[in-house]
Amino acid sequence: MTGEPRAADDGSGVPAAGEKRPAAAGEPRAAGDHVHATMRIVLVCATGVLQLGLSLHPVLVQDCRHRWLAVAAFAALAGVTAVCCGWVLRRRPLPGALVAAGTAVVLAASFCAAVALGPERRFGPADWSFGLVGWHLLLLLLDRVRVLVTVLAAHLAASMGMFLSAGVPDRSALGAAGAAAFAAVNVQLAVIVITRVLQQQTREAAPATAERDHLLTKVLTAQQWEQHQHSAFAGQLGSTLPLLAGLADGELDPRDPDTQRRCALAATQLRRLFAENDEVPDPLVHEVTACVDTAERRGVDVSFAVSGAAVPVPAQVRRELTGPVIAALSAARSRARVSVLRTDEEVRVAVVADAAADVAAAATARVRVEYGVYGDHLRLEAGWRTRQG
Amino acid sequence: MAHAPGLSAVIVDDHPAVRAGVAQWLTTGTPPIRVAASGDDVRVAWTGEGATADVVILDLHLGGPAPAVNDLRRLTEAGRRVVVYSMRAADDIALQCLELGALSYLTKAEGAAHLQEAAAAAASGRAFTPPSLAGALAGDRSTGRPSLSARETEVLIEWFQSESKDFVGQRLGISPRTVNTHLEHIRIKYAMSGREAPTKAALLARAIQDGLVRVDDL
Repeated sequence: MTGEPRAADDGSGVPAAGEKRPAAAGEPRAAGDHVHATMRIVLVCATGVLQLGLSLHPVLVQDCRHRWLAVAAFAALAGVTAVCCGWVLRRRPLPGALVAAGTAVVLAASFCAAVALGPERRFGPADWSFGLVGWHLLLLLLDRVRVLVTVLAAHLAASMGMFLSAGVPDRSALGAAGAAAFAAVNVQLAVIVITRVLQQQTREAAPATAERDHLLTKVLTAQQWEQHQHSAFAGQLGSTLPLLAGLADGELDPRDPDTQRRCALAATQLRRLFAENDEVPDPLVHEVTACVDTAERRGVDVSFAVSGAAVPVPAQVRRELTGPVIAALSAARSRARVSVLRTDEEVRVAVVADAAADVAAAATARVRVEYGVYGDHLRLEAGWRTRQG
Repeated sequence: MAHAPGLSAVIVDDHPAVRAGVAQWLTTGTPPIRVAASGDDVRVAWTGEGATADVVILDLHLGGPAPAVNDLRRLTEAGRRVVVYSMRAADDIALQCLELGALSYLTKAEGAAHLQEAAAAAASGRAFTPPSLAGALAGDRSTGRPSLSARETEVLIEWFQSESKDFVGQRLGISPRTVNTHLEHIRIKYAMSGREAPTKAALLARAIQDGLVRVDDL
């Protein structure tokens, strides 16, 4: 039996390289592993059914030279299948050592079965082991095609050698044996080809699937963003909606100074909100200008000054910085001073206005807000440190 | 401001309406400043009555696209006291004008009161820092800037933000007079840190005279 040691060597040599595969797994490789895992499950089922369904009966009832040897071979083959189940059913690749040992055991079992039956009956109707061993080898070596083909060929050659060593058979026996061997090997080759084709197709399908998943994620993200925008916009409308409702229901009197102040606040908020998404080089000043503009339309004399070079300010921080400006400007009676100052460390937006009204402007985690009343003047300042921490 | 009844000014601006408006403001201010001459060309500051006026109110943008910095330099090198009166609220230009020896830099958005105060201060050889200029100084990130004390920076920022010295005094718990002293100190620091200009030397001399700095500090 020249095939056995060789097969064992190959089996232990290649898995070392094979072990590395999952580590370097890319998308197509993962797809290939997926095909192998599924095929192994099919093979483990097929092997089990074939062994119990077709081989058990001949092993037990057929007359043979050494019954115990046949039973031992059968048990060894069943054992290999059972051990493989542990990995196969969890969709794990078989470890290299298991593959090497399993291949050796399977080949040895094949040899024993042939010896137990008598070499001259190899490939005959009584030979239960030849085809079955092919299935076992498929199960063990599915993802190592070159080794598999080599081992299958060695097994076939060794079996042929045994068959011929028993004496030169007549032509019809030779033909029958050849046909049986050919049929058995063909089934195994077909499985190999099917696996390859499936693997190929999966590899081609993988990028398409990934692209589809990617698109799906993008669509979901866009939907969530849109929802967020909707709710954020509704949130930023702030006091506008209840104010409009109040005016429409006649609950609020437009002549009431408080209502007028609330209207001024809502108008300034909206104007700033519209300015928020404009593409301008200095968005903070643009938004503050929008607030100033609304106050001026209301008749407030606003003096507006900007100092220091523009620095990038996140949209949310701009919202928090302009909030106090909106509050103070909408409370201003006739005059206001608005200033934006950008120093090395800080961006400071301040409003000094002739307003007596209480103004609500809360500090946030990032923006500090200072509020004070000095005589009949109100001062509000929002500051944001450009270098956090 | 010290009472100086004989103060005179020359106005250089290319808009007749601005010249007329500034002349009106100056003559009705406290103290009143006589307008000796006015015109759309800087030559009025070098000839006739304009050559002897105490203060030059100079528009930095006389028709051309480039600011008239060379005219400013020639005037300050001759020891003339210049208040720059500009359309532009650009910090870098304001700081450049100070560097060249202008005693004040005002934007045209700033009202009569600031211009009157600036002209009166300049006519008597003192610097004046209007709110926009205070903002430019507070936001100054240049490497050669003088180091200001925390209080001085505070005064600059508050003055820029409120445009009212009373308000700054109220906020910081100091008198409006102390606010002025801080602002003058800041300008002296700038005058000392920058390049030499006759007006700067005059400014420092004036500061020593006023008791704002001692000779040892220089």
